[in-house]
Amino acid sequence: MDERTGWSRAQPWVSLLVRLGLAGIFLVAGGLKVTDLAANGRAVNAYQIMSYDAAMVVGAIQPFVEIVVGLLLLVGLATRLAAWLSAGMMVAFIAGISSAWARGLNIDCGCFSKGGQLPPGVTPNYLPEIFRDVAFLAMAIFLIIYPVSRFSLDARLDRPFSAGLPADDDVLEEESESSEHTAPRRERA
Amino acid sequence: MSSRKDQNAAARMVRDQIAKEQRRKRTMWISIAAVSALVIAGLIGWGIYAGSKTTDYTAPRGANAAGNGIVTGSGPVVVDEYVDYLCPHCKSFHDEAAASIAQLAADGKITLVTHPVAYLDGASTNRYSTRSSAAAGCAAEYGKFTEFSDVLFDNQPAEGGAGPTDDDLIVLGRQAGLGDDFAQCVRDKRFLTWTNHVSEEAGRAGVTGTPTVLVNGKPTQASAAQIAAAVAAAGGATPSAS
Repeated sequence: MDERTGWSRAQPWVSLLVRLGLAGIFLVAGGLKVTDLAANGRAVNAYQIMSYDAAMVVGAIQPFVEIVVGLLLLVGLATRLAAWLSAGMMVAFIAGISSAWARGLNIDCGCFSKGGQLPPGVTPNYLPEIFRDVAFLAMAIFLIIYPVSRFSLDARLDRPFSAGLPADDDVLEEESESSEHTAPRRERA
Repeated sequence: MSSRKDQNAAARMVRDQIAKEQRRKRTMWISIAAVSALVIAGLIGWGIYAGSKTTDYTAPRGANAAGNGIVTGSGPVVVDEYVDYLCPHCKSFHDEAAASIAQLAADGKITLVTHPVAYLDGASTNRYSTRSSAAAGCAAEYGKFTEFSDVLFDNQPAEGGAGPTDDDLIVLGRQAGLGDDFAQCVRDKRFLTWTNHVSEEAGRAGVTGTPTVLVNGKPTQASAAQIAAAVAAAGGATPSAS
């Protein structure tokens, strides 16, 4: 019993940490790439998954999407949706890196850098890159399960409508009921 | 008494229902707003990409038929080198191998095609990669591409800060023996679109980093010895003992 209440008290704070952590990851990753979209397009092209033109378009769009998802998470707006998008992107990144590994490509993942072909003699770090993205995926899944967090815009928007005026009503009602000395209303309801 | 309680319960149920409905609507609108923001962000990225795509370009004199590199020599083996004037590894490659590669071209063994790509615009605050490549186009136009490339690598700025301005590039051009027509060409940014074309063609060819060296289309390590060996192998001749 104590543990459960402890967790229900801690959970919004844990969610806050996870939310801000994920936001920081996306804002940094997007911010590093947004200054040179062509370079990011080449990094996508280095995976040799799609045609050059498609890779350039994906490379131009991706940093902006990452920044918007990062901002949504930062302010805590549409948290669960943003968490789903984060999870989707992480799955795509993990799939891309695994596929590059499986095909024996010798590339930099371009996750937090310009990416591209590695010079001969430099071995790629596919396994740590995949582990890192799996950790990020776990953070996203946590937020999908527990989207409610402290200091979120979602919670702020929730308050004035459902918990504002009606709550006062509830208090009045409970007072009148308790003065009647009847059975607790929860059992009757 | 009990009827009043039922009324209260009913009122509570209705209120809960309304609150639920309100919450559902709010979630929907928030989701729509979030998705719209994502779509707009994506369109901004796409717009920037579409706007930066090369349309028209004029290749400088000395360019190859495809217009994506500057040709030196006319030997049977084609050596393509993709370099960015801001890339530190390109400078060390240039310092180590440029003389012997030039010798191979002078001896009539290779046709050297240099692609001055602008891959590292994100690594200077004033798009030095693009501007130096466009200036190299001007240098090619006035017959001093190799000399100007040497001067650029000798004066390579560090990554992360501001590279030489156009005025600085004109001064560097004078060191390479270039004159007023070169200066005008740099000021007019005449080969800026050509630089975009060179970079785009390089990306299309799968060149993801610099320096990249191809000997008859085969990726080769960027060093004088490896290139000489690959040229000898491609030309069917054994490397000379001297």
